[in-house]
Amino acid sequence: MKLELGNFYVKDIVFGDRTSYSNGILTINKEEALKVVMEDEHITEADLYIVKPGDRVRLVPVKEAIEPRVRVGGGPVFPGVTGKLMQAGNGRTHALKDCSVLVVGKHWGGFQDGLIDMSGEGAKYTYFSQLKNIVLVADTDEDFEKHEQQKKNRALRWAGMRLAEYIGSCVKNLEPEELETFELEPITKRSDDVKDLPSVVLVLQFQSQMEELGYNDLIYGWDTNRMLPTFMHPNEILDGAVISGSFMPCSSKWSTYDIQNFPMIRRLYKEHGKTINFLGVIATNLNVAMDQKERAAMFVAQMAKSLGADGAIVAEEGYGNPDADFIACIVALEDAGIKTVGLTPECTGRDGRSQPLVTVDPKADAIVSTGDVSHLIELPPMETVIGELESLARDGLAGGWAVDEILGPSVREDGSIIMENNSMFCGDQVVGWSTKTVKEF
Amino acid sequence: MVKEIERAGIPVVQMCNLIPVAKSVGSNRIVPTISIPYPLGDPTKTKEEQWKIRYHRVKVALDALTADIKEQTVFEV
Amino acid sequence: MKKAIVYINQFFGQIGGEDKADFEPVIREGLVGPAIEYQNQLGDEVKVTHTIICGDNFMGSHTEEAINTILGFLEDKEFDIFFAGPAFRAGRYGTACGHIGKAVKEKFNVPVITSMNDENPGVEMFRRDLYIFKGGASAASMKKDIKKMVDFGKKILKGEELLSAEEEGYFGRGIRKQVWLDPPVTAADRVMDMLLKKLKGEPFKTELPIPPQDKVLIAPPIKDLSKATIAIVTSGGIVPVDNPDRIQSASATRWGRYDISGLDRLEKGVFKTIHAGFDPAVANEDPNVIVPLDAMRAFEREGKIGKLHEYFYSTVGTGTTQGEAARMAKEMIPYLKEANVDGVILIST
Repeated sequence: MKLELGNFYVKDIVFGDRTSYSNGILTINKEEALKVVMEDEHITEADLYIVKPGDRVRLVPVKEAIEPRVRVGGGPVFPGVTGKLMQAGNGRTHALKDCSVLVVGKHWGGFQDGLIDMSGEGAKYTYFSQLKNIVLVADTDEDFEKHEQQKKNRALRWAGMRLAEYIGSCVKNLEPEELETFELEPITKRSDDVKDLPSVVLVLQFQSQMEELGYNDLIYGWDTNRMLPTFMHPNEILDGAVISGSFMPCSSKWSTYDIQNFPMIRRLYKEHGKTINFLGVIATNLNVAMDQKERAAMFVAQMAKSLGADGAIVAEEGYGNPDADFIACIVALEDAGIKTVGLTPECTGRDGRSQPLVTVDPKADAIVSTGDVSHLIELPPMETVIGELESLARDGLAGGWAVDEILGPSVREDGSIIMENNSMFCGDQVVGWSTKTVKEF
Repeated sequence: MVKEIERAGIPVVQMCNLIPVAKSVGSNRIVPTISIPYPLGDPTKTKEEQWKIRYHRVKVALDALTADIKEQTVFEV
Repeated sequence: MKKAIVYINQFFGQIGGEDKADFEPVIREGLVGPAIEYQNQLGDEVKVTHTIICGDNFMGSHTEEAINTILGFLEDKEFDIFFAGPAFRAGRYGTACGHIGKAVKEKFNVPVITSMNDENPGVEMFRRDLYIFKGGASAASMKKDIKKMVDFGKKILKGEELLSAEEEGYFGRGIRKQVWLDPPVTAADRVMDMLLKKLKGEPFKTELPIPPQDKVLIAPPIKDLSKATIAIVTSGGIVPVDNPDRIQSASATRWGRYDISGLDRLEKGVFKTIHAGFDPAVANEDPNVIVPLDAMRAFEREGKIGKLHEYFYSTVGTGTTQGEAARMAKEMIPYLKEANVDGVILIST
């Protein structure tokens, strides 16, 4: 499988007459773009903004982030989700780099939604603070979940993907500034000098905790709650086979943008043929019932062993009860003789003294920590808020609260906020960007 | 939570789905439940069947409180 | 000018050796023994105003009295920081530094810094309570040990950024906090580095050391269930629909207890779950799947249990710290004791 990613580095984004890309300038026809957004009758109102690093802007409730792309040979960017089912990871895809489409609720937020500050102290907590972003702010008629803490955010998330495809389409016929090639030979057909290197699999535990459909990550449109672990080519992940869901405290979530760019996969590609033989990805999930967790761990270890893995990396999307899957998977792999490294955020509590993962095992002796979800953050007011600031306190965002005897409400009258890292939009960057860790004091 | 109650000298049985979590927080008496969202029910079954499951598991839990255990024990259901 | 007070034992306080270990605490103005070295290193920015001297045995055998006396000395003193020791490998001295350091920190809320050798039993006893710097085995390292303590103390007093326990050189206090790596290294790079080392069998260092498991003594079983009062506690967030105690749906710090006397089961629309960590649909439809009131009533009627306690106790488990959970449980226990509850069923989600 060979994937060519053609990159166009966006230096600036402006609104203009024709959606187009030229010399680093991405121009968006706002009216036309909004038409694409409004194709779904559930979207009741929508607007677009452009925000850049350094802007005095706070975004909340942020629901999703997507990299604008186009499949050059035709077909949806997200097969089985925004269009027909087709193989991802093969052929050419063009991407607008250094920018993302951010989807923000006009009013209503939920447990899974997050916050982004484009400047100031708060900017260090999210990856998207350093990107130029096209912000879709919209409301929907999905009244059944308006006041629910858990929201599927279906209309908004799909609108974001349509918008990203629409914007991406402007570079379909252009020559990219950079062409990255991702290619792995079939496992048994690799040359001896590659096969002699230690073989490594990447185990991705996608978020799948909701039993009702509509909240979990999708693989080719299939709800990850309804799957058993399966083997995937890393190119599929990099090329739109997986989209983010709408569940889990936000900082530990993987947005669709994160999944499209998956730095851990890129890192493994870089080592492939040099220090390791990158076998591929085992996609698994984080279901809630104990037997489902055990079954998944069993499948993962068996698959890794059968593939001939010497080493494995396990990354979990989330924390809390998914820690049980995370540890179970590591233990199962170690028991199968596969040397394993874990990649996870932790939750140490306000006092920093809680057990960092809800379950632990001495066999999980190699873990990279991407931060503490419960870390308390206080930020000054921001000149402009896109979305609705009050949602952080009112709507049950994982890191916000309406009432706290000691700390007061998350959102104060002057617009300053106090929150847990939990609600920083995909802030733990478990996909591999995080330069955070957790240390003992 | 279990630890504090147990420390106060009151025997406590934890009914939960994630046995490794219960083990790792130091619960001594553990009874497995059906799942996380519905520990003592199962929406795929009839009311009558669900009642039977719940009645049975709670009974195991009550009996666990009378068991003279020497170490952390997961009771079979 | 900031002020410091130093605590030392009878030996370093020049009172005497083992024969003077019962020496009762005194406070001296100015500098005695190691306090001189503290002052040298603190320089002009911080003045050591007093030295407290206490016999190690006196602190060991009359701990409360010794602490109260010393806290009494300090009541009318102004000080910004408190140093104790260094205690090297001297077990009683280390323990004494720990006792007094902890008490001073709790009462006056000033930074307290001490130093001990890693074999000093005081380390394990007090490392969670104060900054204990990693010190030498004997008084030969006095100067070096004091320097570490003083350097760190100055950083605190100046409000400078404090690094992790390992970087600063004290024994970790069990407090884990997130930090940005400087220079930045991405998690992907760190994973790769760790994996390559692990694959090659080279030493590597996990970023999340697995904490040892804490075992609790097993409470004695209930002898006669048919006479016992049983209570239900849940972390599944079942509450009356209006959530009167405003329990948070994640990272809970609040709990509630709800009267169920006279109820045969929990009806939907009257009770619901506010737990944000799972799909609430099933539990909202029938709250008995989390709080099995209907089953408990059946056992009550059958005489299997004496009675069900009039209240059930509820909070939310998701994201809730162990510290908070322990506090909430401690707050529930008096109610359970008062009602003579003999056993608890705790249902977790």
